[in-house]
Amino acid sequence: MKKYLAIFRINLLTSLAYPAEIVTRAGMIIIFMLVFYQLWHVTFTASGSQVINGMTLRDTMWYLLIAETLELGRPRLAKVISQQVKDGSIAYLLNKPYNFIIYQLAGGLGDSLPRMGILLIIGGVPVWGMAGAPPALANWPPAMIALGGAWLLHFCVNGLIGLAAFVAEEVAPFEWIYQKLVFILGGMLIPLNFYPAWLQSLSKSLPFAYMMYGPAQLFVMPDLRLFIQITVGQLIWLVILGGLLAIAFSRGMKKLTINGG
Amino acid sequence: MVAIQVSNLSKTFHTKHKAAGLAASIQALFKPQFSVVEAVRGLSFEMGSGELLGFIGPNGAGKSTTIKILTGILFPDAGSVQVLGFVPWKQRRQLAYLLGTVFGQRPQLWYHLPPIDTFELFGKIYELDDRETKKRISYLTEIFEIGDFLETPVRKLSLGQRMRCEVAASLIHKPKLLLLDEPSIGLDVVAKQHIRDAIREMALRENVGVLLTSHDAGDLEALCKRVIIINHGQIVYQDKVSILKRSFLTSKLVEVRYAQQVSPEFEVEGTETIKVSKDRYAIKIRFNTLQTPVEYVMAHLSAAGTLMDITISDPPLEEVIAAIYKSADGKN
Repeated sequence: MKKYLAIFRINLLTSLAYPAEIVTRAGMIIIFMLVFYQLWHVTFTASGSQVINGMTLRDTMWYLLIAETLELGRPRLAKVISQQVKDGSIAYLLNKPYNFIIYQLAGGLGDSLPRMGILLIIGGVPVWGMAGAPPALANWPPAMIALGGAWLLHFCVNGLIGLAAFVAEEVAPFEWIYQKLVFILGGMLIPLNFYPAWLQSLSKSLPFAYMMYGPAQLFVMPDLRLFIQITVGQLIWLVILGGLLAIAFSRGMKKLTINGG
Repeated sequence: MVAIQVSNLSKTFHTKHKAAGLAASIQALFKPQFSVVEAVRGLSFEMGSGELLGFIGPNGAGKSTTIKILTGILFPDAGSVQVLGFVPWKQRRQLAYLLGTVFGQRPQLWYHLPPIDTFELFGKIYELDDRETKKRISYLTEIFEIGDFLETPVRKLSLGQRMRCEVAASLIHKPKLLLLDEPSIGLDVVAKQHIRDAIREMALRENVGVLLTSHDAGDLEALCKRVIIINHGQIVYQDKVSILKRSFLTSKLVEVRYAQQVSPEFEVEGTETIKVSKDRYAIKIRFNTLQTPVEYVMAHLSAAGTLMDITISDPPLEEVIAAIYKSADGKN
């Protein structure tokens, strides 16, 4: 366990090596939230109602902040592994006495945590100013638990795409498709509550709703039934995707080709 | 005791290729063409524990592939391998505790952090306790003379400083075997000397076996007792470095300085005069020892005048290795 904590720590240190860069990059979330606010403000005004499908403008904005934080702060494993295969540095990562998947998990957490924390703070300030105060503190624990589950699901899917680099080398197209599916079926651009019922149930039968909608919805509208539904859904998908990841790694190792010999 | 035992090892790669141009690109989408590259072909060799073995060959000869199979990160297609008693691709993690690796062209140090952070991380990864790690870092700092930049971010180090830290990092866990894949690539003469001295000292002090691949014959001469030369995935030569030089160095260069001028007509039959100094006091000749006996040449040179100085030298090892590559290419 100590070795994985050390890997988490060194990734955290690397993330913090250039604090100004992290803050500047996280500043992008301000622009996104300003655009979202304009869009949803117009939508709510046009509807002539304070509430659409149970959500106010304030709920929608805080929902979108959590979704954007996850999107911008989630692990970039596919890109990382693909790069490691292309430049050959994967050779150093595979010949050390640790579990490669847990190594990537610890490293990804060290990289993501500071980014997500900064994104929440930097993005939260304009949302508070434009749409109103964040949800009550009591809403936070279940949302944070679901956020952890969502992060792990992103890790598994990203890891599966990354391991495809052992065979295909270039995985950017797969990542592009995955990102767009999360945008639409995960409820990242538009909360799932605003979707027609059939699309909502399709999304909830796939992992995407548990990767984005779950934590964002729990943050603005906490509900025990929803919390149980999201947690169980996340656990089921974690078992499936985690298992696939372990199998893909074991098979991928046999097909690995490392550039430069 | 045997550290590495390789028997009939083979590994092929399937490489996608396409002709230049748009039409070929479109065709490749529907009907991709693959070629089979035999990186390693029936390779067999042994390495003793604590041995310093050179493993050399031209680019694409199969050196790096072999090293990656030995570390367990590539699976072979055929053959058997035992490294320190383990089958690398089946027992990769157990073997990792006993192996140190340096891939000269790939960094393992964390680029934005000082080397000491990577050293401490490796201490944890190899499950050393903190006191042991500190002791080891201080020991390696002394041998590799890296104390002055141990706390400087890696991105600010020169290549020579970085490589010393790379090799030191690979030794944190006291490995029994060090696999060095071109550790001196791109280094200047002084930096190369530093690395060679430190590796040699570590190998002697801790009885670490070293398998070294390099394009620099100087690395082989300075570090290795035995050498294996491979080309096209097969062994084309293996023996002691001293025997390699003796067997293949049939050509000798002799430079002589006399107390008086030599006659303009002076020459030794069976040798080639390369240079005569302007003042005619010095002469440089080359001859083949298989065709012209050394005693014969020496007798004629000393008969030509009073010898003030004489130097007999071999051609550089690079020439010998290049000749072996060429002769292997001819056979293939």
